[in-house]
Amino acid sequence: MDDDTIVCRCEEVTVGEIKQAIREGAVDVTGVKRRTRAGMGLCQGRTCEKIVMRILAQELGKPVSVFELATVRTPVQPVTFGLLAEGSHD
Amino acid sequence: MTSAADVIVIGGGVIGSAVTYYLSREGVKVSLVERGDVASGTSSACDGNILAIDKMPGYDSQVTLKSQQLLTELTESLDYDIEYTQRGSVLVVEDENQEQVARDWFARQKEAGLPMRYLAGKEVFEDEPLLARDVVGLVECASDASLNPMAFVYGLVDTARRAGAMVHPFTEATEILRDSVGTVCGVETTRGTMSANKVVLAAGVWTPAIAASVGVNVRIEPRKGHILVAERSPRPARRKVQEFGYLLTKFGGTEGRNVEAEMDRYGIAMVFEPTEHGNFLIGSSREFVGFDRCCNHHVLELMARRALRFFPRIRDIHVIRSYAGLRPYTPDHLPIVSPVPTVPGLYIAAGHEGDGIGLAPITGKVTSEMILGEPTSITTEPLRLDRFDQ
Repeated sequence: MDDDTIVCRCEEVTVGEIKQAIREGAVDVTGVKRRTRAGMGLCQGRTCEKIVMRILAQELGKPVSVFELATVRTPVQPVTFGLLAEGSHD
Repeated sequence: MTSAADVIVIGGGVIGSAVTYYLSREGVKVSLVERGDVASGTSSACDGNILAIDKMPGYDSQVTLKSQQLLTELTESLDYDIEYTQRGSVLVVEDENQEQVARDWFARQKEAGLPMRYLAGKEVFEDEPLLARDVVGLVECASDASLNPMAFVYGLVDTARRAGAMVHPFTEATEILRDSVGTVCGVETTRGTMSANKVVLAAGVWTPAIAASVGVNVRIEPRKGHILVAERSPRPARRKVQEFGYLLTKFGGTEGRNVEAEMDRYGIAMVFEPTEHGNFLIGSSREFVGFDRCCNHHVLELMARRALRFFPRIRDIHVIRSYAGLRPYTPDHLPIVSPVPTVPGLYIAAGHEGDGIGLAPITGKVTSEMILGEPTSITTEPLRLDRFDQ
């Protein structure tokens, strides 16, 4: 993957930006997310988190298996303010 | 690991990072220890307000105004995009019952030197056209601003590091060490002993536990607050909007708001904040439930309902995420920025509840001044640790 490849399509974050975040001190998926917004978009990281894990593994010289996905945040699926307010979503 | 610094700062949130930044700028050799990644506690689970409008008129709002001025300088000296914007903020006056209290609040803040305006009637909807049609007024503070809190921390830490600070993430402070006469001489950490004769404890809600290692009682309690994140969408308002009733949930008292009991039980008050990325945040809640950071779905529902009362047009916009953070509450809503009288060399900078982002610049600067024995930029008497003992 070259540095211009987009990893997080929702927030348009590239491989290069993720590598930069790792150089600045990110050591896990959450650290990358907070520094780059990768995984903060509409899909909440469903598409990109595994790729972020691979980049972390490669840059930090560790096996992919040591990395965990970011904490899942409610709601599991996007829900409108209207539905949430009515309490009809769990 | 044994390393000597002039000062050890415990806590890599916004307060500890600001203290580290200001000390490093003065040439002081600082070691910052943080048990996780920097910006991973309360500073990663908040919003990014720099507000004077919701501070008590007088000392509290003056200090914030000073902090806003420092922040303007900071944005130029940090080589990092912290997404700072200064668009002002408004408080929405819901009905006639709140009008007099709101006009008094406006008058007192204006007298205290804040750039305030009161908008009524038609002016309200010229200013924010998508607000519910039955609200009656807006109180505006033009100096209010916002930023990305995590980027702010990264920017402070990054700049401090380049000025010589040593930053130790994933290093937990377990005990403050004293010499034979009781003066601070270092910190025991999960990665070894560190020496310094000054220590700043800036660990937010986790401050009391560390202070207890030297027998110091700190009156800070975790107060949980939730935030909803909306998808990128057309903005329902162009800048920060809070319901006037937020002041009631912040300072206590439930008079003057016509809401269901559940709203008051969880301290629900509408807070809207647009972000630089086209999303917006919705708060707020306040609960004392210990150190539990999990989101309570019922609270999120109430927050969504309250948001719709002021912004009915967001009904079909999606909530994509939610989070909860622990705000370091003190009984008088002022932080503790103070030397510890019983432990020479130990300082505390914590207890900012929901104002930590906004007060970080002034807190960092004043703590640095205290340590260097310089006159402080603001009077710090109201921020003393021992004020609760009297």
